Amino acid sequence: MTDGPLIVQSDKSVLLEVDHPRADDARRAIAPFAELERAPEHVHTYRLTSLGLWNARAAGHDAEQVVNTLIEYSRYPVPHALLIDVAETMGRYGRLTLATHPTHGLVLESTDRAVLAEVLKSKRTAGLVGDRVDEQTVVVHPSERGHLKQVLVKLGWPAEDLAGYVDGEKHEIALASPTHPRTPTEVPKEWEMRPYQAQAVDGFWHGGSGVVVLPCGAGKTIVGAGAMAKSGTTTLILVTNTVSARQWRDELVRRTTLTEDEIGEYSGSRKEIKPVTIATYQVLTTKRKGVYSHLELLDARDWGLVLYDEVHLLPAPIFRMTADLQARRRLGLTATLVREDGREDEVFSLIGPKRYDAPWKDIEAQGYIAPADCVEVRLTLPEHERMVYATAEPEDKYRLAACAPGKNRVVEQIVAQHPDDQVLVIGQYLDQLEELSAHLDAPLITGATTVRERQRLFEAFRSGEISRLVVSKVANFSIDLPEASVAIQVSGSFGSRQEEAQRLGRVMRPKADGRTAHFYAVVARDTVDQDFAAHRQRFLAEQGYAYRIVDAEDLEAPDAAR
Amino acid sequence: MFGDEGAARSIDQMASTSPRGTVEADVADGAGVTDAPRTFTEAIRGRDDDELLTLLRARPDLATPSPSTLRSLAARASSRTALERALAHADARTLQALEAVVALAGEVPVTPGEVRRAVGADDVAADLGPAPDGPEDAGSVVERALADALAAALLWDAGEPGRPDLRPAPGLDDVLGPHPAGLGPARPAERRTWSPSDAGKTTKDSARADQLLPEDLPRGGREVLDALAWGPPIGLVPAPGTPAREAVDALVDARLLLRTDGRHVTLPRDVGLALRGGRTHRSPELAPPRPDGRTVPQVVVDAEAASAALELVRRVDLLVAAWDDAAPAVLRSGGLGVRDLRRTAQALGTDEVDAAFVVELAAAAGVVADDGEAPPSYRPTTVADQWEGMDDAERWALLAAAWAGSRRTPWLVGSRDEKGNLRAPLSGDLHRGWVPRLRRQVLEVLAAQQGTALDSGAVMTVLRWHAPRTVPPEQAVAGLLAEAALLGATGAGALSGPGAAIREGADRAALVGALRATLPPEVDEVLLQGDLTGIVPGRPSQALAMLLERSADVESRGAATTVRFSPASVTRALDHGTAADELLDALAHRSRVPVPQPLEYLVRDTARRHESLRVGSAGSYVRAADPTVLAGLAADPRLAHLGLVRLAPTVLAAAVPAVELHDALRARGLLSALEGPDGRVLSARLRRPPRPDRTAREARRGPAAEPETTSDDARAHLVARLRAADSGDDTAVDRLAGAHRAAGAPNGTNGSRPPGAPNGSRSAAPGRVRTTEPGDALATLHDALRDGRLVWIEMVGASGTLERRALKPLRLDGGRLRALDPAREAELTVAVHRIAAVEPADG
Repeated sequence: MTDGPLIVQSDKSVLLEVDHPRADDARRAIAPFAELERAPEHVHTYRLTSLGLWNARAAGHDAEQVVNTLIEYSRYPVPHALLIDVAETMGRYGRLTLATHPTHGLVLESTDRAVLAEVLKSKRTAGLVGDRVDEQTVVVHPSERGHLKQVLVKLGWPAEDLAGYVDGEKHEIALASPTHPRTPTEVPKEWEMRPYQAQAVDGFWHGGSGVVVLPCGAGKTIVGAGAMAKSGTTTLILVTNTVSARQWRDELVRRTTLTEDEIGEYSGSRKEIKPVTIATYQVLTTKRKGVYSHLELLDARDWGLVLYDEVHLLPAPIFRMTADLQARRRLGLTATLVREDGREDEVFSLIGPKRYDAPWKDIEAQGYIAPADCVEVRLTLPEHERMVYATAEPEDKYRLAACAPGKNRVVEQIVAQHPDDQVLVIGQYLDQLEELSAHLDAPLITGATTVRERQRLFEAFRSGEISRLVVSKVANFSIDLPEASVAIQVSGSFGSRQEEAQRLGRVMRPKADGRTAHFYAVVARDTVDQDFAAHRQRFLAEQGYAYRIVDAEDLEAPDAAR
Repeated sequence: MFGDEGAARSIDQMASTSPRGTVEADVADGAGVTDAPRTFTEAIRGRDDDELLTLLRARPDLATPSPSTLRSLAARASSRTALERALAHADARTLQALEAVVALAGEVPVTPGEVRRAVGADDVAADLGPAPDGPEDAGSVVERALADALAAALLWDAGEPGRPDLRPAPGLDDVLGPHPAGLGPARPAERRTWSPSDAGKTTKDSARADQLLPEDLPRGGREVLDALAWGPPIGLVPAPGTPAREAVDALVDARLLLRTDGRHVTLPRDVGLALRGGRTHRSPELAPPRPDGRTVPQVVVDAEAASAALELVRRVDLLVAAWDDAAPAVLRSGGLGVRDLRRTAQALGTDEVDAAFVVELAAAAGVVADDGEAPPSYRPTTVADQWEGMDDAERWALLAAAWAGSRRTPWLVGSRDEKGNLRAPLSGDLHRGWVPRLRRQVLEVLAAQQGTALDSGAVMTVLRWHAPRTVPPEQAVAGLLAEAALLGATGAGALSGPGAAIREGADRAALVGALRATLPPEVDEVLLQGDLTGIVPGRPSQALAMLLERSADVESRGAATTVRFSPASVTRALDHGTAADELLDALAHRSRVPVPQPLEYLVRDTARRHESLRVGSAGSYVRAADPTVLAGLAADPRLAHLGLVRLAPTVLAAAVPAVELHDALRARGLLSALEGPDGRVLSARLRRPPRPDRTAREARRGPAAEPETTSDDARAHLVARLRAADSGDDTAVDRLAGAHRAAGAPNGTNGSRPPGAPNGSRSAAPGRVRTTEPGDALATLHDALRDGRLVWIEMVGASGTLERRALKPLRLDGGRLRALDPAREAELTVAVHRIAAVEPADG
């Protein structure tokens, strides 16, 4: 028994005492196979999951290493059953492999005949595999490569995909330094990939396909650009929305040798197919007369690399299409592998194992993202509003609480406390946002705002021309607001974890002067609003951010919300 | 193995001491010409008192009910039931030795050396690992087994001092089956091709077999013999015309095979032995097997055991709480219903199999019991009250002690009995007398391989060696191992420190100590975090555990405990009467870091809301439209006994029932009216019914354990009485019997002789008496059977009259005697219970 920093519980959670002298070593040692579940100030909780262990296996770690790591850093004897389970789970990965057979093409191979028999006997694999070549090999139709991998993960025998990739159409891409200015005012500057970005690119490239997990603001676009440069082929980039697509284009033109003519946009408004094409999830998943009408894009060129932005938001139809793209290299980029719909295993089987992961706090500690101060402001509703709330129908309650008129005054107070900061006000309900916009005399961006207007306002905000901006949930994803140092949330969509990560991401970008970012959530006391806030609070605290709760009345005090 | 090690003596000792002085009967029979006993009965009668005591100790069933004479003791010792019982507990090595003796017994004297060679002990590497008394070689293991068998009268020695000749007890060959050690029937000496005494003459087994077999062995003959050599010795005759058939026919002609019937041939014993090179067993099983298992470090074993033990204690805690809230009803047929079990399992957070074990164990420890009310239900007892005052180790010890003595089989819950009814936990259906013995054996097996995880299959392998004739059901072994794991008697499958204490039969205090030694050190500190969780990095101290249990919900248990604070959990703490500040102080006191702001806010916010609604109890109320009517009532000293409280200007609550309040108000001159039941508030406080005091009930019922019926003291009395009966001293018998009765020991002879039964022959010389004692009668029959002599038998005829005939017994089996009546030249079969008396017909 050592006096280690880890405590391994039999329910497969692993507790890491942060203040322990060997905590950093332990963190690094378990990072490859344990998923960080929460990271509050003193004890971080990791969890051992099958996917996590398989991810580690895919990254070349074996069970013995994992077991030894747990034993080495554990304070108490590690539960025996857990060690056995770890070894068993990890032993399952790679028992089956997908490979290319010289005469039969794509085949599923196994060194363990019993496993192959078990898998083939399952109803789920029926129709996905062809004839038996010999006792250990069975033919797989190339079009079923993805489906088979999906099914095998569900059966608990994940296959290692060694079948390789098509080379794709060559297209020279290189990173460019200094940057290519995108606006007349912009000055070219020298840059290079940060070390962790370079590691992420390498990790991905060696693994073939997979997912890179980096926090918002840590420069995922650059990882994407790096991967494209490494690949040197035509690339299809799938992003969440049009704004995001434009940002990708700007960033690629700025930091690579690609010119604007080489980059096409495939969205609701434009349908260009170029050597590098950026498409939105929405256009791909649009159905006309019951069929996906834009699927030909996937085969429009011989793509050498397919890039998925925000993997955790990947809609189900895209998974289905991805299943058919297994012969192409795939890179997923995301801030979190946690999916609200629990389809982490599909990400694992279809895009690939996790190839690189860096905890938020670590990157923050390296100075690349800003530290944040999270404050929940609790507003007591006046008597008559409470009566209205108490008698409202359950489905109206959240709206009533979230749109409490008292919040306007609280927002004003907070804004007043940050006269020199770029302030972003984020909300869910348009009435409320319009009201706030009028109150604060700040422009409003909603889903109805045109892309051109949006970009103009973002640019103005970025340049400091305007310092207050009210946005609806359209701003949640992939917009880049480098100078927002204060975010105020007035209403949200029922406390989703992802949404919180995204919103926090808005203010997490590095500040020029290194000052603290502020994140406020205004909440109506004793209502469902407060209950949802509890989810958010938990998420933030679990991510390791200092979290305070103040009463709206205390805001008046000059130092209550520094 | 037969009882204590005291029975184990060396062969030489036995051989030299057993044929002690002659007995009167031998002389009278004209048989006692030499020192060696001629029969089994004589060997028994020739034993000295110590040897008889040893026998009774090794086979306690022979003493109950007490036999009246040594002769009937010998008859009983060689009866089928008694032999079966003795062999049931014999281990593989003893059985091999016995089989060897049975197989070899014949004209040649069977010496221990012969047996050693036959079972193959001489070919085994000398070291068999640690034996009870130091390392010993294979040969002495066999000799010890033989000595034990002699002491237990499974064998007797017909040889003279210094020249042992071992014989099986009469009937042993029957009990061991028709083919001892897989050998065929013996045939008369003159027809033999080989004798066991040849064994030592040749050195090489193959050479021995070749010598025996004729040169011109038919083709395929050797293969046929080899196939039958190691048993079973019976082979099917091949179809005519095949080469195999020719070989078999040739072997039959060469008298190497016997034709038993049209379709079968048998390999005679002598040929079999020759083919085996004089061996009776291919591989001697001299020591218990040591099955393979994972090796687990003791630290891990104890850590796992400790966490299992704590988990079990917590489950019993939950059980008490759950059954306090809702006591499940006792089924009419006894036991706990299926639905109640499922509910209980849910409350315990486990499956029904584990829940059944927890319920059974809690009941065995007396923590819960049938309350004996009508209708009955299961409730926590006064033991549960004591339980609340104990620490984890003490609680565990209470459970462990109960487990050690439990005769319950919870693993049968959910299976169906012969009638197809589900077996319910706590029902009488689950009681099995053999459980403690099997539990002890299982723990012994685990203890023999400390630090090795053994599964039920492995344990079965060892148990099978220890008693090949009574292999316990694997389900029971698996069930006991599962129980041991849940209890923490094993950890990761190997015997833990606390488990070793249970094996040694440690008392409660020692068990407490054993568990304490494995428990991780207590931690009295909780790390509070901003996400409203708290983490105790170790086993929480009792005070800390209590605090956290009240104020937080446990998220993860194990080496560390993770708790989460929520409005609900904080409300619970406030309900227990802890004020917000008190709770925060208590937490701050046990936290290295200041209480995080969100947690503090949560506690204060919950406390604020906690008191905004107040609930109280009242017996009745008064309300009035006009506040002035009520003014002054609450303060009126004459109404003080009503316990009036002013809740609102127009409402008063009273502690007394409505009728009393009504009367009192009337008496004071107020015109009150009783209100109907609508909206009436009743006392919501539920009173817990008194818990049954189990210890008091136990005392009424008397102790649960059966009193020890046999003791060495009682046995010594018995031996003395037998000796006296043997020497024909009637008065001594009566005196001793009287003394025995006076001593309060059980006496089995009382009912065996009906009062007024003829007793005249008692004074005649023993040995040739007309005996009415059933045991003696049987012994006489056995003797006659063996010697082929006539006996006078008095039997009760169909009409109930006594009939006396001279018969020659042919076979005594299954309660029936087949005998030849020479006078009528007819065979007849008599039920043994119809035989009233037997007398040797000397002439």
